[in-house]
Order: sequence, then C-alpha cells, then structure tokens
Amino acid sequence: MRLAILTWEYPPRVIGEIAHYASSLASELTKRDLSVRVVAFDDWATGVRDEARGVKVFRIDNPVKSHISILTWALTLTIEFERIVSDLYYARDGGLDLIDAQEWMTVPASVSIKRALQIPFIFTVHSLEDHRSWGSSDPLSQAIKNLEWLGFYEAERIIAKSAWMKDEVVRIYRVPPEKIDIINPASSNWTNRVVAVYSGVGAKEA
Amino acid sequence: MLSWEFPPRIVGGIARHVDGLSRALSKVGVEVDVFTCDFPGADAEEQVDGVHVHRIDSYKFPAPDFASWNYMMNLNMQRAASEFIRGSNGQVDILHAHDWLSATAAMGMKHMLRLPLVATIHSTEYGRRNGLHTPYQRMIHDMEHWLAYEAWRVICCSEYMASHVSWALGLPREKVDVIPNGVDWKEYARPYDRKNFRRHFASPREKLVLFVGRLVHEKGASVLVEAIPKILSRVDAKFVIVGDGYMRDQLISRAQALHVEAKVYTTGFLDDESVKLLFRTADVCVVPSLYEPFGIVALEAMAAKAPLVVSDVGGLSEIIEHDKTGVKIYANSPDSLAWAVTRVLTDTRYADTLRNGSYEQVQQVYDWNTIASTTKTVYERVLEESRSGNWKILTRT
Repeated sequence: MRLAILTWEYPPRVIGEIAHYASSLASELTKRDLSVRVVAFDDWATGVRDEARGVKVFRIDNPVKSHISILTWALTLTIEFERIVSDLYYARDGGLDLIDAQEWMTVPASVSIKRALQIPFIFTVHSLEDHRSWGSSDPLSQAIKNLEWLGFYEAERIIAKSAWMKDEVVRIYRVPPEKIDIINPASSNWTNRVVAVYSGVGAKEA
Repeated sequence: MLSWEFPPRIVGGIARHVDGLSRALSKVGVEVDVFTCDFPGADAEEQVDGVHVHRIDSYKFPAPDFASWNYMMNLNMQRAASEFIRGSNGQVDILHAHDWLSATAAMGMKHMLRLPLVATIHSTEYGRRNGLHTPYQRMIHDMEHWLAYEAWRVICCSEYMASHVSWALGLPREKVDVIPNGVDWKEYARPYDRKNFRRHFASPREKLVLFVGRLVHEKGASVLVEAIPKILSRVDAKFVIVGDGYMRDQLISRAQALHVEAKVYTTGFLDDESVKLLFRTADVCVVPSLYEPFGIVALEAMAAKAPLVVSDVGGLSEIIEHDKTGVKIYANSPDSLAWAVTRVLTDTRYADTLRNGSYEQVQQVYDWNTIASTTKTVYERVLEESRSGNWKILTRT
C-alpha cells in the first residue's frame, strides 16, 4: 500500500503535537514495509529529502506570501499539496492508494484529490475549531468548521486520539460514531491499529 | 472555462467577455464547458448557443472576507469541474481561467488532471488599487502572479495590458498573447424609433454628446464637464452622462459652477437596451479616460456607429486610429477635448468618415468570431507544446 501523510508541520517544523505524531507514524509504518511519503509545509527546508528510516519527505512552501488569516493560508497552500500528491500519483515509480490527512488544513486538498484522482483519505483529527476558538461564531471560525465538517463527511474513516475527541466530533458535527476509530498514540500497539484502519479502507485502483 | 461570473450573473466585464468568447468558440469548433457560480433563477445546467453552462454551489456560508469566500467557492467549483472532467473520459483538453477569481480551482485541476492551463488576465490588483498597500492586496497580487506562472500562455486584451502584466507579475513578455475584447456588433443594428427615443435626452436642435462609464476619477468625466462651456460657445449640445459613482455630486456641482447644468443630463445607471440605443442616437461619444486597460465602451460606440473622441491612453490608443476610426485627444485636457468634439459636431462629413471607418474596424477586428479563432490558435499551440513534453511523469524524486 502506498500512503501519503499530509501535514502542516513536520520536524524540524514543530508547532504542536502533529509533527511528532506524523514523524513517529511515518517511521513506524516504514518498518512495516509500507511505502510512506510525507507532504508537509515548511518554508525553510522546502524540497525533497530522504529522511531517517526510509521516510521520504516533500516539504512545500506557499508561493502566496501575504495572508490575512490562517484560512487564506490553508486554502492557497492547498494547491501545492494537490500538486505534489498529483506528482506522486502520476510518478513512474508508483502511485498512491491512500492519504492520511492531519487536521483541517489538509482537508481541502484531500477532498479535491479524492474527487479528481479517486484516492480516498483518512482524516486524523487532533483538535477542533470549537475548542481552539471557544464559543466563536465569527465567519473565520465558521469557515474552518465548514472545512472540518467537509473532512468528516468525505473521509473514509476518522481517527481520533481519545474517546472524548470522538464524542466531540459526534456531538458537534453529527458524524456517525461507527465512522470514527479511537487510537491513542500513547498505547503500545497504536501503529498496528492505524494500519488496520488503512487496510480496512483498501487500496482503490484509479 | 472557469469564470466566477457568467450571464445572468453579471458583476463586471468578465461575464460578458466569457459569454461572447464561449459562444464564438463554439461556432469555430471548440466545445466549451463553462463552470461558474450559481445565480437565482438560472439553471444549474444549461445549453446556451452550443455552450454547456454548469452553475456550481457558490459557498453560501459566512466568510470573513471576499477573498476567503472566493477560495471556498473555488473548492466547490474545483470538485464539480473535476468530477465532470473525469466523467468525460479524456474529452477535455484544456483549462481556461479568468483572473485570480478562479485561480485556486484552475491550478489545482491543472496538476491533478494533468491538463494545460491558459489564463486570461483582465486586470491586476496592482492596477485596480494603483499599487499594493495592504496584506490583502498583496495576497491577491501573489495569486495573480502564481496563476500567470502556472499558465502555459497568458492572454491580455491590449498591448498596454500585456506590458503592464509583464511588469507587475514578472512575466516574460513572450508568454503573453494579446487578444482584444469583442463586441456583439449585430446587436446594435435592430430598427428603433430614433426620433422618439432621442426626445427623452435632447431637443431636436441640440447635438447629443454621450459619456458612458463609471463616475470615478479614472474615467475622466470631469474633463468632459470642464470642456462643456467651450463646446457650447460653438455648438448647441446636450451632454448625456450615463453611469454612477462617487464623483457624481462633484460633477453636478461643477456643472452648476460653470452655469451649464441645464445642458447636462446625468441619467445614473441605465438598462442595457437604453444604453445601446443611446450609443446609436448620439452625435458623438466621448471616452476621456485617464487610465484604461482596454475600453469596451469604445467598441460599443463603434458598433453603434457613434463617432468617437477618446483619450490617447492605454487600450484606447490601440483601438482607435486617429482621423480614421475616431479622434484621439490629449488625456486630461479639456481644451483638446473641446476642440475634438466641436470638430466632430460641426463637420458632418468628417463625422461620417469616422463612423464608417470604425464600423468596418469593429466588424473585422473586434468581431467575436475573429477573436475566437485567434483564441483557438492559442489553445492549439498550448496543446501541441504540452503534449510533446514529459509532463505526465514526475522526474524530480
């Protein structure tokens, strides 16, 4: 199975917990002989690099340098995610079977890729807008929530890191609970369980 | 064809341009599918003169600002268009985007579907704002830059715009193809009751001087107002000013200060049909713009056989040939304008030469059929170049 992990942070760019999650996941998956490519935002280390333990990382920058919100940043960076993932899909040395999208910023690209290239995606949720901007009803939060909802709707499966998070997703976005898998990365066999989720989706040929 | 507006959804000039272009392309053998925003009362799927129009769900939830709304709308447009292209089984060859407003959808689709992209830049943020002064404006400028970069060829409507775009967006001039805007000149030939219509605007012994345009600084209506006393000293005329904008009150007070307010009729915004008839009724049409990337108003006057007096700026300089298809005047010069208008109004033979010359010109150069054929050759060039490359396969791993 050929997998791409999309993330807005990856070491050495560490903002929250996603960077570490993605990098642990990538290296563990490589040990299990899955083909793993990471596509991550990094405006400093931009480019392709073979990293430790056989993980290949594509770091992208956003050509649009001025922004007025994280929303415009994410929605424009989307094009670069789409470009690199498309390149992986069309590449001679393999294609792509599945995407693991980290957080709402990678949702627009994942949804577009799903529609254009029929590559399914898993949505791994680390936090929700209602928690980040508690009680906010302003249009920026609404738009981000819209993207979170879209991710939950279009994803094949959802990975939440705790039962609480799963309950919140169900409560706020009315996602069918059966669609959500709880995988705590602190538990011992968490990578196996992630792989099980991936396998459940199956490799769809284009 | 990706466009954020298409009739009946008309915001600026892009809707009419895409409409005219698509219909004409269809007639020269190019199959066009337009993806555009939905509009109340308009069908989600429609066939218009051989053009397939698809109206997508433009994002209707609250958005923090226009650009954010636009990017969210583009997500919907991209999904709908991608699904369509997939379903068409390789029948779609090329993408054509208009301005930054459909850029995020277009560029993503280019990469995901491996279709070459052509972009028409109708105007730039730099030009619209006379410089870049805020992060928002710089963001839009960056999007325009990116679109122009990702496009295989860039289309502009005039040499003036091509120059401007090369400079503002850092494009090699060779990447830009100049294809003018067009006009449906046949729409200006239907019979009408001229005498009765004219009476609403001017008395029979008054000549009718027409200005059509937004009442904003760069369209130069103030130059016309300054020239009025001088023109009136030679010819009896009524000055009909069609359009609205922040300068309206200023223009009216200036006319009062010059004691010519009785000879000035500001109509405000007028419906399409009346404007077309006014062009046909006018004894002279004045386009005194201070800044003009193209000047579609001039094409409308030419199609309506109204003699033209235009500022020698931007696109207007390229459209009008002095003494043949119109009179070119110095920009921002009431004296120059007064001289030209007086000449056209008093020398009817000269006026007729201009009328005929410009009508011939509009039929040959600004006819949508001609423009579509030129656009088609751009598409063909892009297809030939893109197909002879290695694009389908990624190399840099």
